[in-house]
Amino acid sequence: MTTRLFLYLGIIVLGGLIGARAKLKENFIKRLGSFQTACLLFLLFIMGVKIGMDEKVINSFLSIGLNALIMSIFTVGFSIIFVYIINKLCLGGKE
Amino acid sequence: MTLKIVIAVLLGIVSGYYVLPKDILNYADYIIDFGLMLLLFFVGIDIGLNKSVFSRIKAKGIKILLVPIAIIIGSITGSAIAGIILKLPFNEAGAIGAGLGWYSLSSILIASYSNELSALAFISNVIRELIAIITIPLIAKKIGFVEAIAPAGATAMDTSLPIISKATDSEIALIAFITGAICTFAVPVLVPFILNL
Repeated sequence: MTTRLFLYLGIIVLGGLIGARAKLKENFIKRLGSFQTACLLFLLFIMGVKIGMDEKVINSFLSIGLNALIMSIFTVGFSIIFVYIINKLCLGGKE
Repeated sequence: MTLKIVIAVLLGIVSGYYVLPKDILNYADYIIDFGLMLLLFFVGIDIGLNKSVFSRIKAKGIKILLVPIAIIIGSITGSAIAGIILKLPFNEAGAIGAGLGWYSLSSILIASYSNELSALAFISNVIRELIAIITIPLIAKKIGFVEAIAPAGATAMDTSLPIISKATDSEIALIAFITGAICTFAVPVLVPFILNL
């Protein structure tokens, strides 16, 4: 877990250094955006494949899916509400 | 963007269930790892291109730590309230919320306590990640950039980060990474703690 954190951090820092130092052309940056979207959608597709192939997951989706859905909606909902509150109170509330 | 995301995930689930051969599963983790690292590299480039990011984050200072704290408290509160509806005791419901979207670890941590609860923790945290993937662009547009980090929880440092970065800006992407890292470290501490209350 800690190795992963540092691996991800290292990769982001490497990208950051290249972004800050290298003279990237406007055109390249624009194309990078669409390439990024394509990669992201492909990654999400593969994540979906993984879920779809796991029969245990699909079966439990059908049996406890509704309870799990209620659980996650409340969890996500209150996370947003609490972040909204601290953003308004302490972080200036813009954006 | 949201529609494209939903289609990509659904198409994956359907083709994983019906069409694709099972052998792919052996490669799926490698593909995901590689794709994720590539995307994180791009997130880095975006941050590097916006040199003002660091000074703006410095201006906010220690206050950005309030974001993961709010997510953790919000998640546990939300799951506890859902627990009242589903007639689960506070410690069981709260432990699921404390999974913060990290489904593999939270279900493992709960497995020794109860298999049923472990399955519920797994599925609801999988759904949390799906909700995050789908709603982040919407929340960024309709509510606010900082709030868009909230659904991601622990996944704000990996799988959700490219989406947050795309839907918001480099400053929020950096705050999201920090938030995700703190949430990731909090899960193995909080889940057993709440379960034993």
